[in-house]
Amino acid sequence: MRPAAAAALLAGLAAAALLAHRTVSVAVIAAVLLVVCLRAPAERRRMYLVGALVSGLAVVVVTPFLETIGSHPIWTGPTVPVLGQLDVTTEELRNGLFQGLRLTAVALAFAAYALLLDHDRLVQAAGFARRSVLAIALATRLVPTLERDAAGLVESLRGRGVEVSGVRGRARLLSPLLAGSLERALNLAEAMEARGYGRPGGTRAPRPGWTGRDRAALVGATALVVIGALWL
Amino acid sequence: MALVSVRELSFRYAEAPPALREVSLDVEAGEVVALLGPSGSGKSTLLRALAGLVPHFHGGRFSGRVEIDGRDTRRTRPSELAGTVATLFQDPEDQVVFTRVEPEVAFGLENVGTPPAQIPLRAARALASVGAGDLGDRRVGQLSGGQLQRVCLASVLALEPRLLLLDEPTSQLDPDGAATAIELARSSGAAVVVSEHRSERVLEACDRVLFLEEGRLREDGVPDAWLPREADLPHGEPGGVPVCRLEDVSFGYDRPVLSGVSLEVGRGEIVALIGPNGSGKTTVGKLAAGLLEPQEGSVVRDGRACYLSQDPGRYLVCERADEEVALAVDGDLTRARAALAQLGLEGFAARHPRDLSSGERERLALAAVLVAEPDLLVLDEPTRGVDPPRKDELVRLLRAQAAGRGTLVATNDHVFAGAVADRVVSTVPERAAALA
Repeated sequence: MRPAAAAALLAGLAAAALLAHRTVSVAVIAAVLLVVCLRAPAERRRMYLVGALVSGLAVVVVTPFLETIGSHPIWTGPTVPVLGQLDVTTEELRNGLFQGLRLTAVALAFAAYALLLDHDRLVQAAGFARRSVLAIALATRLVPTLERDAAGLVESLRGRGVEVSGVRGRARLLSPLLAGSLERALNLAEAMEARGYGRPGGTRAPRPGWTGRDRAALVGATALVVIGALWL
Repeated sequence: MALVSVRELSFRYAEAPPALREVSLDVEAGEVVALLGPSGSGKSTLLRALAGLVPHFHGGRFSGRVEIDGRDTRRTRPSELAGTVATLFQDPEDQVVFTRVEPEVAFGLENVGTPPAQIPLRAARALASVGAGDLGDRRVGQLSGGQLQRVCLASVLALEPRLLLLDEPTSQLDPDGAATAIELARSSGAAVVVSEHRSERVLEACDRVLFLEEGRLREDGVPDAWLPREADLPHGEPGGVPVCRLEDVSFGYDRPVLSGVSLEVGRGEIVALIGPNGSGKTTVGKLAAGLLEPQEGSVVRDGRACYLSQDPGRYLVCERADEEVALAVDGDLTRARAALAQLGLEGFAARHPRDLSSGERERLALAAVLVAEPDLLVLDEPTRGVDPPRKDELVRLLRAQAAGRGTLVATNDHVFAGAVADRVVSTVPERAAALA
């Protein structure tokens, strides 16, 4: 399947998760996306899966304390300035679970896009807005690039007998990683300009045509959005 | 009319001393020009000025005039010069746009409006010409530094430009690859301006030498006076009490890299490891230093090992150069500053490592491992971006400190290997068998 069709399918699943009204429907979509993500190599998928699941879990935990809905309290806590009285109701828990699953599903759809799709072919397939697609593809590469840079920094430190461990040790790498990514972005922009990027009159290498499977995926993506909005 | 005309060019980056001072020169079509000079002398800035990137991309203060094929670079964007001019930058990792090789080479062709049917053909031809015809489907992240440099070279050659600007094009290439790259540039018919610290190949192929110092064009002449000495590679026997021994070591990433490799480095000995790109030199170095564990076989070390990565961008963890160097010695700034001074960086202690030029970063990285005075020192391409006088200083320094440790140097720089090593071992022809 062409990456553009697969990307449309993933976008359809993410949209369906955002439009669906039932918790179980969103849970099924998230589960499907999780299975898709598990096709990626274990080392590469770990960071994305941890990010998706932890952020979803955070929403599940935090939502009941920030919302004030429902009339079936499970726990009533102290009064906190600004937030008011803390309490947790059954409705808040349900809504927290629902919103957490939504976020997880969207994050997993992005993870599947980042891990499994060929971004080069996606850029080549872009019939319009090629600059935007290229910008998204380059931004998507940020995570693996940062991973590689971090591994390089850790290796250079280990090569000097300095072990990097614990939250504090890793936090020390954040500043050089950020500075490095800014420097890399500047160098890349310079190289792209020198190679004619942004000049009018560009052409594109020939692309393979759409197959029946690709068209079916596009129809499926549209159907997912409609089904998500109306029936899930 | 000359293809390149530079008149009274002066330039300074924002809040920095002048990088170029009143440089004037012409380059004729088809001429091959070697651009030499110490680190920080303005070579890269001059190449950027010829590509129009100075001043368009970098800003700064620009005076004088640069004309390429009759077009004034102040009025012509670098992207409009692309195709007429093609630039290969110093660090191949920072110029790759795509994740796979084929679209990477096609990118420039698409931008300059090459007819679609010709794009795959020209990309494939350029890849084949640099000996990377089999890499078309590979991901760039899987390539060795040298292979990536070949791909970047193919990207610029595919454009068939009239002016080819090459900034350290062979810094990560093995000698055969370097010779091929320079010969390809020459035979492309384009005028070539090439900045290169490993200048022996360039000088053999060039028509003219420009020497820059502190931003000024000091010499403009024929290459005869600059031709370097030949590499003389010593092939002695292993000596000294071993500080590191690899026995029947095998290792692979997604494909086998080393199989049944044995190597010994003795205390007091400097061993240079040479071999083609992708043949496993870096992997041997990391195994020796303990950064990788062998999948088969054994590695035995005696004492502390330190490893210098071939990417000096990895030695930029701290905010000051002396603090960066002091990491390996528990923050001892006195030892760190002494190590910086050994590498000619005595005035750089308080500077941010990112403010240093590429050659200065390389020396900072060297100081960051030398300071630890390890029993085993592993250096991976330590002369990348280092100018010849600094290289000679490095040879003297490593030789002076050799007695106290074992030193393993993975390098494609055979002149350096010949000058520094007691023994040279190769990863070819029998990479699968014993190295030494």
